[in-house]
Amino acid sequence: MLNKNTSVILLLLAALFSGGKLAALDQSVLQRAFDTVSPALCVLTFTQETTDPRSGEQMRQNGFAVGLNVAPEGLLLSNGHLQRENVQTFNFRVTFRIDGKEQSHPAVLLKKPDELNISFLRIQSERPLSLPSVQFDFQAGLALAEPVAIMGILGESMDFNRAIQEDRVISVVDSPRLTYCLGTPLKMGFVTGPVINSRGRVVGVTGFDLTVAEGGEIFSRSGHPLVYQASLFEKHILTPPDQTQESIEAEEAWLGIFTQPLKEDFAEYWKIDEAGGLIVSTVIPDSPAANDGILPGDIIRRFDGQSIRATQDRDVIAFTQMVKEQTPGAEVKIELLRDGESFHLTTTLGRRPRAAQDADEYMDEQLGMSVREITRDLRILLNLGEEVQGVIVRRVVSGSPAQAARIQPGLIIMSMNSFTITNLEEYQEAAAFFERDKTDEITLFIRAGAQTGFLRLRPRWQHER
Amino acid sequence: MIHKFFSDSMFFSRRLLPPGLLLILSLILSSCAGLSVNTQDRVLSARNRVAPALVHIRPVKEVFVSGKRTEVLTVGSGFIISADGYIVTNEHVAGESSEVWCILSDNTEHQARVVGVDPYTDVAVLKIEAERPFPHVNWGDSDAIEAGQMVLAMGSPHGLARSVSLGIISVPDRYLEGASGMTSPYNNWIQTDAAINPGNSGGPLVNLKGDVVGINARMLSGAENLGFAIPANIAREVVTEIVDHGRVQRGSLGLVFQEITSKTDDPQARGVVIADVAPMSSSYEAGIRPGDVLLRLGDRPLQARYEEELPAVRKAVADLPVGEALQLLLSRGDEEMEFTVTAEEESAIKGINAEFSEWGFTLVELTPELARRAQLHGHTGVLVSGCLPGGLAAISGLTPGDIILKVDEEDISSLAHFMDLYKTLQDSKQKLTMLFVQKGALTRFVLINRADNQSFVLDREILDHVE
Repeated sequence: MLNKNTSVILLLLAALFSGGKLAALDQSVLQRAFDTVSPALCVLTFTQETTDPRSGEQMRQNGFAVGLNVAPEGLLLSNGHLQRENVQTFNFRVTFRIDGKEQSHPAVLLKKPDELNISFLRIQSERPLSLPSVQFDFQAGLALAEPVAIMGILGESMDFNRAIQEDRVISVVDSPRLTYCLGTPLKMGFVTGPVINSRGRVVGVTGFDLTVAEGGEIFSRSGHPLVYQASLFEKHILTPPDQTQESIEAEEAWLGIFTQPLKEDFAEYWKIDEAGGLIVSTVIPDSPAANDGILPGDIIRRFDGQSIRATQDRDVIAFTQMVKEQTPGAEVKIELLRDGESFHLTTTLGRRPRAAQDADEYMDEQLGMSVREITRDLRILLNLGEEVQGVIVRRVVSGSPAQAARIQPGLIIMSMNSFTITNLEEYQEAAAFFERDKTDEITLFIRAGAQTGFLRLRPRWQHER
Repeated sequence: MIHKFFSDSMFFSRRLLPPGLLLILSLILSSCAGLSVNTQDRVLSARNRVAPALVHIRPVKEVFVSGKRTEVLTVGSGFIISADGYIVTNEHVAGESSEVWCILSDNTEHQARVVGVDPYTDVAVLKIEAERPFPHVNWGDSDAIEAGQMVLAMGSPHGLARSVSLGIISVPDRYLEGASGMTSPYNNWIQTDAAINPGNSGGPLVNLKGDVVGINARMLSGAENLGFAIPANIAREVVTEIVDHGRVQRGSLGLVFQEITSKTDDPQARGVVIADVAPMSSSYEAGIRPGDVLLRLGDRPLQARYEEELPAVRKAVADLPVGEALQLLLSRGDEEMEFTVTAEEESAIKGINAEFSEWGFTLVELTPELARRAQLHGHTGVLVSGCLPGGLAAISGLTPGDIILKVDEEDISSLAHFMDLYKTLQDSKQKLTMLFVQKGALTRFVLINRADNQSFVLDREILDHVE
């Protein structure tokens, strides 16, 4: 009996494998793909400095990642983990291997797109470059169980040799955007590696999404590698992100609310005939929304002429994107439901405030700490009222006067001797004064958590270089 | 706040040495064999005086973990202080317990009544009853102790009843800043190298006369022979308050103090630095601001040059009668200024927990300190302390740390208020309940749909049936 059953299963399995649908990629397809795409792969080496957010301790290490060149003049896609909170990456060097010969260039990071965990780098060269680059098929998609090939590089001990591996799409994720899930764990050298479909087309790159806490997007806390379809970053290849950050911020509009979808049972509770819409859950003080009278509990049903019928958590992200793409200063009509009544208002969108990761920072070499401005998102994260003004300590140098004064990362400095500190410029002015004056003692008025207090700091001017 | 926990760069108030003669005498004696015999005798007699009054305590503690109330059996120590059966132990031993069992030195077991607890000093008072008088200890004077003096720690380390360890007082007045939820604003600590382990909590620290000079309460884990006891003089006062009134009432001015040296080294500087002023307190209303230096509390001059002088300052404020106006003398810059303030009652340090089993979650009363940290205007709301996985609260998206501000349209003023509303909701047929909650700076709506709970209830019914 048992034998018979087993043989039936074996037969079925054999049928599946010979059916052709789950066939592996043809060796010749792989070889051809390797020949055309691998020259655009390069080895990106860098130094990374990680700051422990609690202790402020820093650790440096060298690393490498695969870089994928997408333009002859030198535009690279690489692992988005190069740009993370509490991580600084620098000393970029890009090495191509063209016809067996190595060619090396410096590179700089560009602003990271908020919607994708991919970093962009611009290769620097005095003379114009004509580097091998990869051509994406922006239209092509993938199908469930479709076999794919991924290209990458092996580690240093393998002399960074180019490599190719097979995988399969094990799941198609359709929200918050179309993404494909791969079945096999990826080695470091294959992250942001090009993904090739069964017809030999380069359809995207591999990657991992970040969690919200890391400043990225939602899912894949699972650790499953994903395929970012080429259409997701097409616009960034055509118009590469800026090296400076201000210009990007200027373009993004801001309303200043947090929302949640109006699901069926919420609609039932509030006796609204039709579910769908965005419930305003939080209004940020002093934001355009607050100034124009939007209140928590309002339900957005129409924004700028577009009907809002959100019922899923992911729709919130789409709405945020919709607001971002408006122009700051634009007047937008919003239709709300307030206490069951339809309510119209016009709001003037503001400019999206800077996020903590882009905040200006000042390294005070003399006192041995770096401080940064309190950005809007930090204010929300730390639940600081508008009355709390100052600069926030980012890190403290080991053995420094700041450490001796028991200053810790996360502390907010509100005054130093007679200087009131409300922003980074005021800190810098005070610091410059202390240095000129050789002030022997600085009393700081600080806030740690919900409490204020004083600390005394003794600078060591004699230790000047 | 500013982390100074166990740092070694602290200053200590210099205590006067006792009369030189005694010291010399003991030095001479210590060189002969005579003393060791003598010491042995004194250790024995001290131990024998206290041992009959030593209590092994087994409380059944209520703990609220992941949205559920559970009971756990723990072990602690204590000692009888009166013939009619009052027992002293730690608040962290006997507080939040559903029952407390005491095993005396004669191995008799008594269920004790918790007379009262004081989390601020970690002192609890229990009462047991019997026909006969109980053996009891005598309190010693903790202000008369000095570093180097021999002491015994008695109690039930790791549940091992009747244990005695010997050591000396390492530091008589160690200042410990509040850390990891433990705070002791009104007292310094007796530091000893007599072995203290978990389970010693609530047991007596005894001098060689056999008097209790402290209540063993803390140890520094990861270290050896660093134990800490609450000074007897502080404890006695608290015990008396608890015996007389069931609790300790303290005054508060909404002020946080720092030692003078946090601002200046000037040897002429007097008073105590005001580091923070609670919004909405009478001090804030009167115009007192951080950075002011408090010189006089009514007629009483105050001084805290070093941090170990802070507990005495805080205690002076706590001793103020609640509701009475008094004058404060402050210095601001070069000026001296007078302010009239009224002491309010110091709020509870811990909120009461409660379980709501139908929704599968636990709530804790929002203390003013928690409300302040959450930047809540006014003391409204209740804090979600835990959600049972799979329970209605968890399914609905409620998470620990959420503060429930509103139920349907009604603002929540207290835990008791929420309990009333909850009971009404449970009795009614209402299917949907809207909560307006806050976490950090963000607010959101959470809908409790009792229809979602049916499968949960069903499972329970099936389980009941199986049993």
